[in-house]
Amino acid sequence: MADAFTQEIIRSKLLAITGEMGTILARTSMSPIVYEVLDFACGLTDATGAVVAQDNGLCLFTGTFQPQVASILEKFPASSMQPGDIYMTNSPYGGGTHNPDIALIMPIFFDERLIAFGISVTHWTELGGKVLGSIAPDSTEIYQEGLQFPRLQLYTAGEINRAIIDIIEANVRLPLMSIGDLNAGVAAVRVAERRVREMVQRYRTDVVLESFEAIMRHGEEMARRALETIPQGVFEASDFIDGDGITEDSIPIQVKVTIDGERFVADFTGTAGQTAGAINCSRGALLSACKTVFKAIIGPQLDSNEGLFRPFELVAPDGTVFTAVRPAPTGWYYEASANATELIWKALAPVLPQSLSAGSYLSLCAYYIGGQHADGRYWLLTTPQDGGWGACADQDGESSLIATTDGDTYNYPAEVIETAFPLTMLSNAFNTGNPAGHGRYRGGFGTVREYRIDAPNGGTLMASMGRSVTPPWGVDGGSGGATNYYEVERPDGSRERGGRTSNVELGMGDIVRIVTGNGGGWGKPSERDPAAIARDLADQLISREDVAQVYGGGPA
Amino acid sequence: MTGSLRVAIDIGGTFTDAVVYDPMTSRVTEAKSSTTPDDFARGVFDTLDVSAIELTSIAQLIHGTTVVINTITQRSGVKTALLTTRGFRDALQIGRGNRPDMYNLRFHKPEPLVPRRRRFEVDERMRVDGTVERPLDVAALVELAERLRNEQVEAVAICFLHSYAWPDHEREAKSALAELLPDVPITCSSDVCREWREYERTSTAVLNAYVQPILESYLGHLDETFDELEVTDRRFVMLSNGGSATFEFAKAQPIQLVESGPAGGIAGALAIGAQIGESHLITLDVGGTTAKCSVIVDGEAAISQDYRMEWTPWSPGYPLRIPVVDIVEIGAGGGSIVWFDDGGALRIGPMSAGADPGPACYGKGGTAPTITDAMVVAGILDPASFLGGRLTIDPALARTAFEPIAGRLGLDLPETVSGVLRLFGELTVEALKLVSVRRGHDPRDFTLIAYGGGGPIHAAHLARELGVKRLLIPTFPGTFSAWGMLTSKPRLDLSRTLVLPLGDAPASRRNEIFAEMQHESECTLVAQGFEPNGIQHQQAIDCRYHGQEHTVRVPSNTSDSEDAFATRFHELHRKLYTFSLEQTEIELVNFRLTSVVNAGTSPEGGTLPQTALGATVERDVIFATGECCAVAVHQRSALPGGFESAGPAIIEESSSTTVVLPGQRFAIDRFGNILIHENRMIGKECSEIG
Repeated sequence: MADAFTQEIIRSKLLAITGEMGTILARTSMSPIVYEVLDFACGLTDATGAVVAQDNGLCLFTGTFQPQVASILEKFPASSMQPGDIYMTNSPYGGGTHNPDIALIMPIFFDERLIAFGISVTHWTELGGKVLGSIAPDSTEIYQEGLQFPRLQLYTAGEINRAIIDIIEANVRLPLMSIGDLNAGVAAVRVAERRVREMVQRYRTDVVLESFEAIMRHGEEMARRALETIPQGVFEASDFIDGDGITEDSIPIQVKVTIDGERFVADFTGTAGQTAGAINCSRGALLSACKTVFKAIIGPQLDSNEGLFRPFELVAPDGTVFTAVRPAPTGWYYEASANATELIWKALAPVLPQSLSAGSYLSLCAYYIGGQHADGRYWLLTTPQDGGWGACADQDGESSLIATTDGDTYNYPAEVIETAFPLTMLSNAFNTGNPAGHGRYRGGFGTVREYRIDAPNGGTLMASMGRSVTPPWGVDGGSGGATNYYEVERPDGSRERGGRTSNVELGMGDIVRIVTGNGGGWGKPSERDPAAIARDLADQLISREDVAQVYGGGPA
Repeated sequence: MTGSLRVAIDIGGTFTDAVVYDPMTSRVTEAKSSTTPDDFARGVFDTLDVSAIELTSIAQLIHGTTVVINTITQRSGVKTALLTTRGFRDALQIGRGNRPDMYNLRFHKPEPLVPRRRRFEVDERMRVDGTVERPLDVAALVELAERLRNEQVEAVAICFLHSYAWPDHEREAKSALAELLPDVPITCSSDVCREWREYERTSTAVLNAYVQPILESYLGHLDETFDELEVTDRRFVMLSNGGSATFEFAKAQPIQLVESGPAGGIAGALAIGAQIGESHLITLDVGGTTAKCSVIVDGEAAISQDYRMEWTPWSPGYPLRIPVVDIVEIGAGGGSIVWFDDGGALRIGPMSAGADPGPACYGKGGTAPTITDAMVVAGILDPASFLGGRLTIDPALARTAFEPIAGRLGLDLPETVSGVLRLFGELTVEALKLVSVRRGHDPRDFTLIAYGGGGPIHAAHLARELGVKRLLIPTFPGTFSAWGMLTSKPRLDLSRTLVLPLGDAPASRRNEIFAEMQHESECTLVAQGFEPNGIQHQQAIDCRYHGQEHTVRVPSNTSDSEDAFATRFHELHRKLYTFSLEQTEIELVNFRLTSVVNAGTSPEGGTLPQTALGATVERDVIFATGECCAVAVHQRSALPGGFESAGPAIIEESSSTTVVLPGQRFAIDRFGNILIHENRMIGKECSEIG
């Protein structure tokens, strides 16, 4: 029998194990995207795949573990598994996200009994396919997006399947780095196995398994209690995804959220079909997107486990832009994924002011600026950009913050960029040149980053900036914010502007301006505290004209 | 100078401690009085009063102060302005744009300490190679100075791009402004940090400017009073890097005092390690609200340049690029509250009853059960002698506080507090693992050194769980940081970002860079009155493989060939990251120079009695292990060097209580330290509870 103290000790040990998995993964990986962007996740599930502890660096991985372990169990029954096995999958259609995110799953045995799985997911920098990095913004089929690992057995009782390694080495552009990432993922699940076995050795199998149950029951209890306290009913929202990278057509999306005390159901029926471009997400990523906002409502700092998400139900037909099926490309899946999160958020923000803000700049706004040095070497700046978040019911929105899909993700300093690339950064400033999301509380400001191209050979710009047409939404009379866009200014003063692009040619002296949107406002501008208006004016965040036109006069 | 005494004064949250060392007699004494937050200097003089020493007999005084950290946490610094390169006015507020509290969709960063209306852009631009793209517009500073004067700005920070390597524009702007605003202190980012990444450097400069007038007036006030009382002018402060510096240095770089107190503890651990011949130590400092851990490997404390003020797992905090002893802190201390969450799980902390109202047993109105209350119920803390009688505690209140917890769990009080102590131990062990196992160290190679009021109480259980070689409780654990300050040496850590491929940096180039840094270091130390021939320098270079972002700190020698240096880097990279990339170009990023001044003798422990008075009493104690038995209670002041005994035992002294578990042995070494080992022999008979 596991007493309350032992249960709590086991809970903290499980979190320490997933934390240690993450440390080892980041330490062993050779890819900057892993150790800098934290584009990985680690976890432990019970023998059925139910998550008991999780450590993720990005929101994008909130809900993918369970469907991934389930997909492996479907192909390899538990009875066929043995100690030392490690399984591998990256299928977006089998619970995953996009091809470069590789899941490794290790069954953990004690006394010949399967008791748990360790899982690690790592974004490999290179997986082959159409372009370096494997996620082309203009791909139209998954076959252009690098290798697919259709639920493989990488290790059998500790013996590696060498053929898989040979195939990887022959098909990726940076085999050393990709194999390094593979090894990092293996190291992570192996430390999970060792630590879980140590724990079972000390506390006994039944006590540990009972604690797994208790942890999930506790998560469920926390979720149910929180659900009881929030408004019940049916809440709907609709919006648009601005272009898929192939065309600029608006893609209609919608959700109906039903909260009835017991359950929290998100129904995406009515959302447009999957698109030709790579911004689609699949069901596993959609589940993550939904769980992200569900957790934000239930308790942002609670531990993620299967129990916490038990009251959540997803309804969505296959083949939509949120539930893409083969052979839809999903390389830039986080664009649709971000929209899915924000759709539920939009439906509920008016009734959950304690948990949710108004609409944000939403899109990760990732861009690549690159080219070739005189000696032939390539250079490439790859980065997302922070932007404006929506106002809250009781305070202004935050400015220049990374999008919902990410998390503890850092922006790139000017001094580092100028050392590494033939670029000069002319600004890193608030987006005060475009309308703010005015309101009783004001939306946060996006960021304007300007890069001057100093490379004599020029270069190219590739960008995927959503919310480039439909501005961030306000709540309760707050005005909408400003959209995201890139702009290229030529030395002759001419300008070219857009949202998603796979190729803008850049010449020496051109200025690339990446402008992220301003978040939506909350409440009527006429209700804004005059002192706050005066402060914004003194801070030069708003103009005298804003004061006259939006706030009807100005501070006393 | 008439006397020979060396005195350390450490301001803590509750008490201001003094430790006095007399090198003539080797005698060490301690004194305490209440901290006086309204005027910290008063507490300093109160404590000196309590210590009853002749102030004129002080030969050297070293001060650890919380003034800097308190000024920041209470946001009571001065009205500060910031000058930036044009286009970068908002860099301070944009920060790194990260959201550590990633599921919080109402997340806000910490407010910048300089609002946008006091952030000004200046026309100037340095390129990364040191060429000037746009000269500094000095003329425009006249108008700006007028504005700053009108707005009654009390301090100015300046951060221009690439000033870590090319500080000329910052210095030009500073000297122009200094003439226009002679009464306003100005901090250039390059004065306090010579590393790249503009946000972190700006933040460092802003915080330095923000606290500078406050610390200047505080130390100035101490100076005046000491002068009046004819106290020695050899006055030093404890820096966050574990070394010391003069008051004058501190007034220019006050931000270096941010972790002044905790750094004293690390200095003390290093000194004890040297005395007992132990080069691998894990330190544990348990106070009222937190437990702090750090690690010493090969006789060197880990110093980090990546400190974040007010960092939590949910907040990015304010970065400070200054050398600070690398401490992992968790929200678990004596005041941590035991509670049930909404889902019915038992939790400890991070909320704390603090010093006011404090644990329930203090009888100051607190009713929430805390770890200290559990200690009282368990019989580990003696109500009669708690904190040397400075505080009276009521065990009945502690029991009352725990009754609802026991009731809900369906357990009796002994079972409950034993479980709580076990859980508390586990939480703390995880923090100890973060600095040891998770950094690739094997705890079996380490001695755990525990101090702070709570360290010695919990450490025996933690030492066992972690599996360290042995546990050491120093003399005066409750004032150990102050004791450590007495052992610290004047120290300066310099760093320079200079991104160079190793191929472009042969030994001659590297030595040239270090020679410049060494010259600067010596000038700074000599200006503080230290002898140049007592200074010892140590070099290191942060390196990485081309294309990486993170770096590895590699020790460097003047005689290193490129190959020898590269080999050392590959080896260290393998040790830390499990792989090396021998074909990839190595990039040098930061050059680091540590300079230490060899000072006089250090105290060795405390003053020991010659014969044991013996354990006078026994009392029933409940341990975290679930055991319960009658335990011998010793007075530490009655235990001479060489004394040895089997656990279980309780050793009491005025500032702390040491617990020795059943199955452990303890001994007093010649310095007065308590050494605790696991012992496979059967100790005293104990019964399992529950």
